[in-house]
Amino acid sequence: MRRTAAFLVFAFAARALAVEGETAIATSGTSAAPAPKAAAVAAADKIWSAVVLATNSPAPKDAPPELREFAARLKRVFGYSQFELIGAAAEKIDEQNESWLVPSQSFWLSVKARRAMAKEARGGYLLNLQLYHDKRPLLETEAKLAPGSPLFIRGPEYGHGQLIIVLQVQR
Amino acid sequence: MKTFEERFTAWVDGQLTGRDLAEFEKDLANHPEVVAERAEARKLGDLLRAQPVPPLGNADFFSHQLMQLIAAETPRAAEPAKPRAWFWSLPRLAFAGAACLVVAGGLFKTLIPAAVSPGEKSKYYAQVVEAWPADPSISATTVYNSADNVTVVWLDGLPYIPATYALK
Repeated sequence: MRRTAAFLVFAFAARALAVEGETAIATSGTSAAPAPKAAAVAAADKIWSAVVLATNSPAPKDAPPELREFAARLKRVFGYSQFELIGAAAEKIDEQNESWLVPSQSFWLSVKARRAMAKEARGGYLLNLQLYHDKRPLLETEAKLAPGSPLFIRGPEYGHGQLIIVLQVQR
Repeated sequence: MKTFEERFTAWVDGQLTGRDLAEFEKDLANHPEVVAERAEARKLGDLLRAQPVPPLGNADFFSHQLMQLIAAETPRAAEPAKPRAWFWSLPRLAFAGAACLVVAGGLFKTLIPAAVSPGEKSKYYAQVVEAWPADPSISATTVYNSADNVTVVWLDGLPYIPATYALK
């Protein structure tokens, strides 16, 4: 009886806090739509990938809207002046199954994700990524990604430029 | 049905009457010795009654002492066990609830990851735990750029792709 009562009290308290936490997470995200449950919030997380061609041009064009948030960093890190989006793909993060990202016909990514529980991860994910060029595997990596913290992969040189794969968790 | 002893006592005291007396007197044929016992009992009674009765000075005190002695010699009936008070009284429940809230709040603050609010620059950057190039000719180097909050996996040794290759 005592244990049952103690368990019930604890369960109610934990439930109340969980609801509060879910609301906080939902309201602090970039989406304006309310998300009543943490599962729904987690289900809305996406892994976004893009294949970018970086080149140097005497009259560089503006980066496409999808790349504007990365353009300055790409310039500083890779030193190119123009960034062209070859393709992009986004998939909902599914912690149960492997996902495939196909931002272009030539470059694919296999993604297995699980939520990182450490507070420092700020709601991010531990990803097992495999990068393929056509059917050839190039790289397998384990990386922790969180919203707002992109991962760039410097790929092969292409023509007079450089291919870059961009990965980011979107919420 | 009264026992013979009970009827005998009543007979000695002269309290048997009517049919009971007649039946008892019939039984006396089987117990001739009781007639003599009755005579002795009556004689003893008369003797006691003939004695002067001393005055009882503190009748109430005497009665009280007597009742106490009777009570002390009477075996006590087992007292019913008091029902045990429930441990989780309302104040204790409230206290336990408050304690649970504090514990749950602490766990929430320490374990549940907080999301980045819009416009806030993330202090967290992507981390590459491990990188395994698929080909020995490929090398992977991880570069962290804390100023730009970006992580780069730098692949070297990848074959050049000519511009004629269709990427899309």
